[in-house]
Amino acid sequence: MVTYWRLEVLRMLRDRRFLILMLVLPVGMYLLFTNVFGQEDRAAARPDDVLGVDVRLMVSMAAFGAIGAALSATGPRIAQERAIGWMRQLRVMPMPARQVIIAKVLAAMTMALPAIVLVATTAVLAHGVRLAAWQWLAIGGMLWLGTAPFAALGVWIGYLADGDSAFAVMYGVYLALSALGGLWMPVHVLPSVLQDIAPMLPSNRFAELGWNVAAGTGPSMLGVAVLAGWLVVFAALALLGYRRRIAA
Amino acid sequence: MTDIAVWFESVTKSFGTVRAVNGLDLRIRVGETVALLGANGAGKSTTVNLLLGLFPPDGGRVRVLDSAPRQAVAQGRIGAMLQEGGLMPGVTVQALLGFARERYPDPLPLAEVLDQTGLTEVADRYVDRLSGGQTQRLRFALAIVGDPELLVLDEPTAAMDVESRRAFWVNMRAYAAKGRTVLFATHYLDEADENADRIVVVAEGGVVADGTPAEIKSAAGGRSVRFTVDGSGAGDLHLLPGVTSVEVRGRTATLHTADAERTVRALFASRDRVRDIEVTGADLEDAVLALTS
Repeated sequence: MVTYWRLEVLRMLRDRRFLILMLVLPVGMYLLFTNVFGQEDRAAARPDDVLGVDVRLMVSMAAFGAIGAALSATGPRIAQERAIGWMRQLRVMPMPARQVIIAKVLAAMTMALPAIVLVATTAVLAHGVRLAAWQWLAIGGMLWLGTAPFAALGVWIGYLADGDSAFAVMYGVYLALSALGGLWMPVHVLPSVLQDIAPMLPSNRFAELGWNVAAGTGPSMLGVAVLAGWLVVFAALALLGYRRRIAA
Repeated sequence: MTDIAVWFESVTKSFGTVRAVNGLDLRIRVGETVALLGANGAGKSTTVNLLLGLFPPDGGRVRVLDSAPRQAVAQGRIGAMLQEGGLMPGVTVQALLGFARERYPDPLPLAEVLDQTGLTEVADRYVDRLSGGQTQRLRFALAIVGDPELLVLDEPTAAMDVESRRAFWVNMRAYAAKGRTVLFATHYLDEADENADRIVVVAEGGVVADGTPAEIKSAAGGRSVRFTVDGSGAGDLHLLPGVTSVEVRGRTATLHTADAERTVRALFASRDRVRDIEVTGADLEDAVLALTS
């Protein structure tokens, strides 16, 4: 399984589209947003934004990148491998499907790490963001572990969509989760209907893990519960999708 | 431990209203090389997929190497080249085979597999950069890398050119010569004839004939002799020994014969020259027709 995980990671490092979308995009958007909204926000020093725009967006964009890595490392790849018959070939080799999926989820989570580290490094270099050592470790660690529900969601998409549509489906879900979860702009800027939805979304609760640590508080129990709930739901759906494909 | 490698007992499998396999009985002994011969839709692929446990039978029993099919696969005792099987993209030939090797309890050395399948020179190439022939060879390499007791090949030469096809069968026979059991599905009588000890003809999901290639061919009835008709005309052709029917289209005559050797001998004796002569085996369609009627 370790070998399979390593193969998966090596493949992704070779995939230019993946690298641009999942690594360059979050960093680019971080720089864009902080420079567009940054001046104004810093001058206004709004009382409800205890983090400040540089730190808040650092966590948001790290989360954005991590979710993207987790989704794109699973969904479109699984769909493509199903289409070309690799999944079928694996089924006649002594490699249990369970291990294939676990290796994929771990590879997806592995690929989330560079996105997190890259955005954080940019924040430090470009805007002089300073946090305590434990905060860096906690943000990195929680954002990393928190990608699990998104990897499971990606696996589900991989079994639901076919090879051609999986990337589009994945990307649509990705953008919707990011925008509605308040990763691009704070939730309070969104229309009020969407403000009510945001706290139920895994993307919002995922970024919240980091926001809370950066603010010096622990993770919200409700937030962790919501994330865990999504993990269970997506994992069950992924398993169901997988079973259905096998039976067919 | 029995010496039966593959055992199908009144197996049935339907997809919707289509009964793909219909009461199939089949026993293959350890060490045999068996061709599963049948037209498209005869139930070959379904049989192969049942053998690999890719889906369970609706009725009857499938045993492979004294185990349930999935167990035999999980233990690495079967190697398979599927019709719809694909390769992991984005990795090198070597990396892919290296991964596969680790999954089997007693694999072949990597260098030996690369050498045998002619992939040594492209070992560092990415899987998605291989030619069609190389891809097929890699799929075969993936099937044998674990040195499995049973090798299952579903229409392995379907996408190959003549040269790759020949090389492929040489490799397959080399593998079978090690005492391994091989089952391959094909719709070419020639391939079955040249590469199997035993041919099992399937039609409509059941076995319609089972025997050595010689037995099957004689049961399938005869060969065709084709040549260009010259001055002597075609009027006497039906009188030649062995001939069962005569067809003349333009200047080409086709004789169906139960004894090609005697027919050809008499044909040469009756004419000064016989141009463009060609002797071909009965094709599968004829064979299946002859065997089922």
